Amino acid sequence: MQRRGFLTAGVALALLGGTGAVFADTRAGVAEKVLATWYHLALELVRHTPTYTPPVASRTLAYMGVAAFEALASEGGGLHSLVGQLNGLSAVPDRAPGQGYDTAVILNAVMDVLIHDLFANTGPTGQHAMETLTGRLAGQAADGVAADVVAASRSYGATLATAVLEWSRTDGGAVIDNMGFPAKWTVNPAPGHWVPTSKVVLQQAPLLPDWGKNRAFAMPDGDTCTLPAPTAYSEDKGSAFYAEAMEVYTTSQSLTEEQKYIARFWSDDAMLSYTPPGHWIAILNQVVAEKGLDLTAHVEALARMGVAMADAFIGCWAAKFQYDLIRPITYIKKVIDPKWEPMLNTPPFPEYPSGHSTQSAAAAAVLTALFGEGYGFTDESPAPDGVPQRQFASFRAAADEAAISRLYGGIHFRPAIENGQAQGRCIAAYAIGLKTRV
Amino acid sequence: MRFLLVALLVNFASPVLAEDAEIPHFLDETATSGITNVYKGEWEFMTGGGVAAFDCSGDGKPDLFMAGGVNNSVLYRNDSATGGALKFTAIPSGAEMDRVTGAYPLDIDGDGILDLVVLRSGEDVVMQGEGDCKFHRANEAWGFDGRDLWSTAFSATWEKGQDWPTLAIGTYIDRTQDAFPWGSCTANGLYRPKGKAFDAPLPLKPSFCSLSMLFSDWNRSGTPSLRVSNDREYYKGGTEQMWHVEAGKPPALYTAAEGWKPLKIWGMGIASTDVNGDGMPDYFMTSMADSKLQVLAGGADKATYKDIAFASHSIAQRPYIGGDFHPSTGWHAEFQDVNNDGIQDLFIAKGNVDSMPDFAMKDPNNLMLGQPDGTFVEVGDKAGVASFRQSRGASVVDLNSDGQMDLVVVNRNEGAQVWRNSGDGLGHWLQLALHQDGANRDAIGAWIELRQGDRVQRREITSGGGHAGGQIGWWHFGLGAVEVGEVRVIWPDGTASDWFKVAGDGFYDLTKGKAPAVH
Repeated sequence: MQRRGFLTAGVALALLGGTGAVFADTRAGVAEKVLATWYHLALELVRHTPTYTPPVASRTLAYMGVAAFEALASEGGGLHSLVGQLNGLSAVPDRAPGQGYDTAVILNAVMDVLIHDLFANTGPTGQHAMETLTGRLAGQAADGVAADVVAASRSYGATLATAVLEWSRTDGGAVIDNMGFPAKWTVNPAPGHWVPTSKVVLQQAPLLPDWGKNRAFAMPDGDTCTLPAPTAYSEDKGSAFYAEAMEVYTTSQSLTEEQKYIARFWSDDAMLSYTPPGHWIAILNQVVAEKGLDLTAHVEALARMGVAMADAFIGCWAAKFQYDLIRPITYIKKVIDPKWEPMLNTPPFPEYPSGHSTQSAAAAAVLTALFGEGYGFTDESPAPDGVPQRQFASFRAAADEAAISRLYGGIHFRPAIENGQAQGRCIAAYAIGLKTRV
Repeated sequence: MRFLLVALLVNFASPVLAEDAEIPHFLDETATSGITNVYKGEWEFMTGGGVAAFDCSGDGKPDLFMAGGVNNSVLYRNDSATGGALKFTAIPSGAEMDRVTGAYPLDIDGDGILDLVVLRSGEDVVMQGEGDCKFHRANEAWGFDGRDLWSTAFSATWEKGQDWPTLAIGTYIDRTQDAFPWGSCTANGLYRPKGKAFDAPLPLKPSFCSLSMLFSDWNRSGTPSLRVSNDREYYKGGTEQMWHVEAGKPPALYTAAEGWKPLKIWGMGIASTDVNGDGMPDYFMTSMADSKLQVLAGGADKATYKDIAFASHSIAQRPYIGGDFHPSTGWHAEFQDVNNDGIQDLFIAKGNVDSMPDFAMKDPNNLMLGQPDGTFVEVGDKAGVASFRQSRGASVVDLNSDGQMDLVVVNRNEGAQVWRNSGDGLGHWLQLALHQDGANRDAIGAWIELRQGDRVQRREITSGGGHAGGQIGWWHFGLGAVEVGEVRVIWPDGTASDWFKVAGDGFYDLTKGKAPAVH
């Protein structure tokens, strides 16, 4: 195992997006700072924009990664465009021959346009923050660059971002109404199916029931990596389903402090955290800072990670609404203990498979492909929320823990975790298989 | 489980008004009232917009001090005739300031003249009342460090043995962190007495961007605790809070061991009353989407609350008229009995934070009538107060001394509005003012009890809560069809007065140690 030095997520963000002290005083250093600062803002906006549930966050992070990648690929410095490899991405604008460009200015324009659009519905503080960064970073990115180069670079960046946004409009996930909850929903009355698990009015319908029909990025579609059906529903005490529920129940009754900590560490709740995909992007950015990766490698990783996690949510959601499985809280209250409460709030959508398990497995597979097996790291992403750091021997180990945390939290049965992980690894193979180098 | 949920949904969809409940009829008299205040401003004034209602002119009718944001705050003298149309005149008061977010009246120095605590995005200011609606700055004289923060919440109490109040001031975002403001919540301050002045503010850390605070004796222990409602949009690792504030001890948060459970909401306003008749105060908290109504769940020994907003139909989750299906955004909340039936009703000021498309832009204010079974029924449109403006602060208060509760609402970037309660067909009422010698002349922390037969209405006298504004003056009770009631006061020192029989439809001064006197 390679153990990396201690570096907190907060420090990583500061290094990437702060004063620039660690960035080389080069154009590449400026570009890296621009990219990191916009990503820092994007993660905050994920947390603070009302529609940004985990699937929605994964989609935005995918488009951001692809756009950043294409901005660098257009430079002709060794990256191979994703055009033709990602579903529906048939073309992106080229840089004009003979015109001088600056990658930092391009990247700033790309991120500026993209983030303003993808987070257009954020609140006044987010709007204020976006405008503040627009003014601040435009000047920093252009500092010392010839005026005609700045103008051409800004124009090209905006054009490239617009092309990516146009591509995004047709994927099925561009419009989120009513926070992602259908205005009307008919619960399947048959035993074993999902029913609302809270008294929050919006959550009387499940979140984003059509998300699995969205156009995928690298895999063919949401049904690409199928997984076995969940255990047959039964309330019989001798049944396998009852045994799975009893595992959740008995585990909840004897949680160790370590297990409680794990559940909290990976809870990654919408509107209270960067969400699971944001958590893994924060891990990636931490690794980038630790390894001192160059900009090319950084955008390559951002694109692969974004694509893998977005596809993971599409595949996971397709399965969730195919099987429409009951949550542990509903079953256990009905069959085992009417007073039972899980440690975590139960998310408002069907149980099988586990979204965190699927997408964490996908993210870890990509990171392992990029940085190798046995890459040890310390993750402090949730530290600002008062949750202490955790150390992991590998990305796989972190993903495994994220997955089992859902059982500790009382919101998933074991098959949703284990089969979800398998689905995530299957989906990640498509992102890993993308040709990104010339 | 499923059956229960369906049943709740059905009830939620079709609440029924009690047969004998009167819907009050409010007349919008804004245009002729003389009130033209606009709470104006962008990012730094997306919250706030409070109004303080109190009598500074000495005529017994509440005057109004309104926050103006980038505009100067305004004091409106109440020139309404008793029972007549609402008339106000903006007058110079010495309290005109820009960047004001809210204000609360309080007789800080115990001279019998109400002072003002003015909250600002900038230095907070305590204004000493001179009488006749004149004020002057008293920060230096009273040792008050107004700091330079974005203040958004307030509450006051008199700690045991003190003849000077303890103030709590809640603050919001560090406004210098304009690119990454999240997680930058600045410290709330607890201003304890230091002789006849304030000591340096004690930071109430951790602080989580508070939009409402309320000293309230949640378990009738005789010592109020400080409830703090926080905006989850900006804190990291935060939650709703309650602080022990006990004389001679540092403030301390209630813990899980004491029953306090984490709750993360976009907390914006607190209203309190005894909804379920158990003798303990219950708490309504506004938020984005679902509101909360908390009742004590574990008895007086355990600070554990149960949310009954959904079951009691007070969740006020989305607009009830206007066709906008998006979730609501709630701000000021206040319990008062607007139809004088003896049951507390609930007003909520609503309005989009700015122009957030995922929340209702056409978001009518709520007026929900309390029902005998503890539920609420929305009548804002029928009563005539369903404004679609971007409302923030408000006061439900009898502006023309006719015993019917009127309404004033401050709106962001639009004119304030005022409604007169016509009183048509409503029940009998009482208006009571508390007085005691020495400090805390208005008896903050007292409880008034009104008994009619077997039924007792209880009201805790507090300073704080709501959204960025509050009131001191007459405390109103509806009597319903019965023209008489018995009242007693449990004074802040714990002593209880005798029960006194009083006739309805009158104003009474209740002075400690004396029988009620008709005002």
